[in-house]
Amino acid sequence: MRAFALITVLMVGGLLFYGLPDFPDWGDPASPASTHLSPFYIEQGAADTHAPNVVTAVLAYYRGYDTMFEAAVIFSAGLACFFLLRTFRQKSIETRLYRHLPTGVTLRIEEGGKTPEGSDEFEPIDSHWVPYDMIINLTCRLIVPFVQLFALYVIAHGHYSPGGGFQGGVLFGAAIILYAISTDLRTAFKRLQEKAVMLLSALGVLIYAGTGVVCLVLGGNFLDYSFLAGILGVDAVMARSHGILIIEIGVGLAVMAVMVMLYYNLSSAGRHDEGL
Amino acid sequence: MSVLDIVATAMIAMGLFFFLGGAIGILRFPDFYSRLHPAGKLDTMGQFAAMIGMAIYLLNDLSLGSVLTALKILLIVVFVFITSPTATHAIVDAGVRAGLAPWTKESREGRR
Repeated sequence: MRAFALITVLMVGGLLFYGLPDFPDWGDPASPASTHLSPFYIEQGAADTHAPNVVTAVLAYYRGYDTMFEAAVIFSAGLACFFLLRTFRQKSIETRLYRHLPTGVTLRIEEGGKTPEGSDEFEPIDSHWVPYDMIINLTCRLIVPFVQLFALYVIAHGHYSPGGGFQGGVLFGAAIILYAISTDLRTAFKRLQEKAVMLLSALGVLIYAGTGVVCLVLGGNFLDYSFLAGILGVDAVMARSHGILIIEIGVGLAVMAVMVMLYYNLSSAGRHDEGL
Repeated sequence: MSVLDIVATAMIAMGLFFFLGGAIGILRFPDFYSRLHPAGKLDTMGQFAAMIGMAIYLLNDLSLGSVLTALKILLIVVFVFITSPTATHAIVDAGVRAGLAPWTKESREGRR
């Protein structure tokens, strides 16, 4: 069987090498890829969309339909992780740790014991709880706002520099995950609940697809932002630019929420009670 | 070649020297903790020197754009200075909590 696999690999590899000389040279201006569509994008991109970054123009305007399904793929990846991992079992009463806030005493309640749930004076802490680390905590608290600001910048500045919804969304999600790592999962849930994460991920894809539907209603093609000009009160070129920004925001929301959802589910094995 | 060019070249060369020391240290030191020492310190110092060198090089033609770029480079330096030692600290902390014993001369024979 291994010999068969080896022969197959060698044959396919040989065929690939056989076909290699027929390819155009790297960056050949006469190659089919750079004679039909690419010059059009490069020449028309800035004039059509007022976005000097051709990548953004192609990704979010010319190939907007494609990118919508990329966002949908990310959304369904988050959903898949949710459905595979999330467990809604009743809170199993294993050994639990509770800290008495006024005194700092930690109680360890064995299985079947009476838990001080609902009391203001006790705070549940993780069973893998590690003592409060001031250096990491303070540094993360210092860094997180800057990471979030930079993420917003990357989303908003995607027209002019490398960036856009996907990258900015990942940065924003990373900021929230950093916060969750530097404290614990409960503190992160207080800031961003699971419901909010689910809603945001769906909302992101909805913003994207909804923009397309609005264009459709206003008489254009799906995702033809120039028809948004009437609503936004600008001319067609600026309307395309704004349309790109709107869908980038949608993509950013979806990506951010999916990142956080993946982290929540993976770090607590779907139980969402305690984790890193 | 202006004075700024020479200073910039010297700074970048110094940064590369620190990076080289860090790489050698990561390869040559005996255990986890001592390897993190060059990884955390020399890389931070190396990127500091190299980045400052680049910022100085940019200031050769003094315009708003180059000053802005130099300021962005300085921001990178500041953030790496904050985060890199913290990351090293977190890794060392995790190692101690996981129970990894530091290397000593006596434990050299009985290394796991």
